[in-house]
Amino acid sequence: MAFYDSIFSALGLSGWCGEAGDGAPLSMADLMAKAGGDEAKGEFFPFPSLDNLNESCSSVLQSRDVTKGIEEGFLAAKPALKTVLDPITQPLSWLLDGALWLFEATPWFVMVPILVAISYWASRSKPVTIFVFISIMLLGLVDHYDVAMQTLSIIFVCTSISVLLGVPVGIAMSKSDRLQKSTVPILDLLQTLPTFVYLIPLIFLFSVTESKLYGIAIILYAIVPVIRLTDLGIRLVDQDVIEAANAFGMNSRQKLLRVQMPLALPNIMAGINQTIMMSLAMVVIASLVSAPGLGVNVLRGIRNLELGVGIVAGIGIVLLAVILDRVSKAALSRVDMTRVKH
Amino acid sequence: MTTGSAAYADCGEVTITEMNWASSAVVTAVAAFLMEQGYGCEVQKVPSSTVTAITSVTETGEPDILTEVWANSTPAYPGLLAEGKLVELADVLSDGGVEAWWIPAYLAESNPELTTWEGIMANPAAVGGKFHDCPSGWACDIINNNNLIAAGAEAGGLERFQHGSGETLQTSIAAAYDEKAPWFGYYWAPTAVLGKYPMVAVEVPAYDAEAHTCNGNVDCTNPGFSAYPASKVVTAAAGGFSEREPAAAALMAKVSFTNEQMGEVLAWRLDRNASYDEAAVYFLTNYKDVWAEWLNDEAREKLAAILDNG
Repeated sequence: MAFYDSIFSALGLSGWCGEAGDGAPLSMADLMAKAGGDEAKGEFFPFPSLDNLNESCSSVLQSRDVTKGIEEGFLAAKPALKTVLDPITQPLSWLLDGALWLFEATPWFVMVPILVAISYWASRSKPVTIFVFISIMLLGLVDHYDVAMQTLSIIFVCTSISVLLGVPVGIAMSKSDRLQKSTVPILDLLQTLPTFVYLIPLIFLFSVTESKLYGIAIILYAIVPVIRLTDLGIRLVDQDVIEAANAFGMNSRQKLLRVQMPLALPNIMAGINQTIMMSLAMVVIASLVSAPGLGVNVLRGIRNLELGVGIVAGIGIVLLAVILDRVSKAALSRVDMTRVKH
Repeated sequence: MTTGSAAYADCGEVTITEMNWASSAVVTAVAAFLMEQGYGCEVQKVPSSTVTAITSVTETGEPDILTEVWANSTPAYPGLLAEGKLVELADVLSDGGVEAWWIPAYLAESNPELTTWEGIMANPAAVGGKFHDCPSGWACDIINNNNLIAAGAEAGGLERFQHGSGETLQTSIAAAYDEKAPWFGYYWAPTAVLGKYPMVAVEVPAYDAEAHTCNGNVDCTNPGFSAYPASKVVTAAAGGFSEREPAAAALMAKVSFTNEQMGEVLAWRLDRNASYDEAAVYFLTNYKDVWAEWLNDEAREKLAAILDNG
């Protein structure tokens, strides 16, 4: 006898319930009890969960029916989702493939000076530039130049798209409290939902052989800080300054572009810096869905217990992270208007 | 679990791996039940995978029992046997595992010519133009790659697509099935995936021991095109286990499933969305004659309540 039998009969639902508990497969506990010779004694007062209720009343769904229902719902919605999402995301595949091709086709003696020049232009800092040069040379020395460039090209595309999409969303959020309230839970979800939980369903929508699969994985995770900090930065702009701008008769577009954005720039840059870091953090997970680069070597190292392979590739990722962090930080302190001497 | 074990002091604590795939989890659940209920052991299941289990047993002698070691794809295995760190107890899948290159059954039906390698190379586009290969770091990754080189796949217009993980490889099969799209790649049986999605093995040149050994080596200079041999799938125990727990070791030496039995259990599990434990119970209630043979007299007596009724 299951615990909730009496409740269902008291409510007069026995007829609706039908034969009790014939749907569920025999559980391990039942079988063990059978081996002992007596019937399974459940807990004294089990939680009224679907499975426990089902034992008394087979018309109640089991929890496994709920998960099955979600799966079937997704598969039913799949064709519609696919027609919409597949073409929209297609440019991402082209961008990733194009960047990958560009970074690989450019010979190292062209690529390295370009990267060094970019870091000098962004940071205007000699120590940072020298550090970048040495790091890239070190990676090349242990034959990790190619994979490092693959990783860099993926980061490059994904962060650019994150910034292009994230900054406008952040601005919109700062202008509307209602939009902010509804977006924040989505951002929380994106940062905490285990990646494979949404990546595996995505394989049903897009072919697994498409590069956009890992692109989406990285962007969804990395776009969050730039949105959050753009929103925060614009909201933190001093009200007195806005009043002054109003007094000058600026329209809202002028206020945004000439007052709020410049003053929020340090926060936005901090968001971009975090976005870069987070996309690097996703490199190994992206490799689980076939992204090329240093992540593949990390996975190979783990799977075959080739500790050295894993450690070298892991340190390669750290080096890339430090390069990108220092360059973007140096660029950040350069654009920090609030610290400019008057 | 708590009652009973104290009364039978002849079996102590046993640690057994639960590998991260379906058939192994069922084997573990069945074995754990028999050892606990029949032999009074205290069984601890250790969630694991081949590489971690092998490393752990090499370094620490734990866990006691390794379920479903695929001997072919575990290069360290013969060495550990020779050193005495592992003892082979039984062929847990008596028919052996099947590793092969597959196409979905619906594709084989509509295009029967694709069931041979020549047929696929004549028109690679018919299978989607891609070979779905194992993730980097799996033994089959190197073997498949050398086979593809030997077969001239790239030149013939068949692109090798390397998956990042076993999860995406298996999902790509499910996704292809959902759309009845072409798919061609590596997988192995018995697995839940091949149980749920019928696949047809593509005919390739017969197994050639010499070529296959070379194919397994990254630096193989002269790869040959060869099918996979039937894989030996064994239960192995840590070195001193048989002396410590002779009764449990004798049981594990008999625990063995045919591919048909295992396939049936796994398909039942998928159909009902059941847990591994429930699948084990399904096996234990429906194949009593099979597992009654594995037990010694004392255990058979203890489990008589299940064996004789219901």
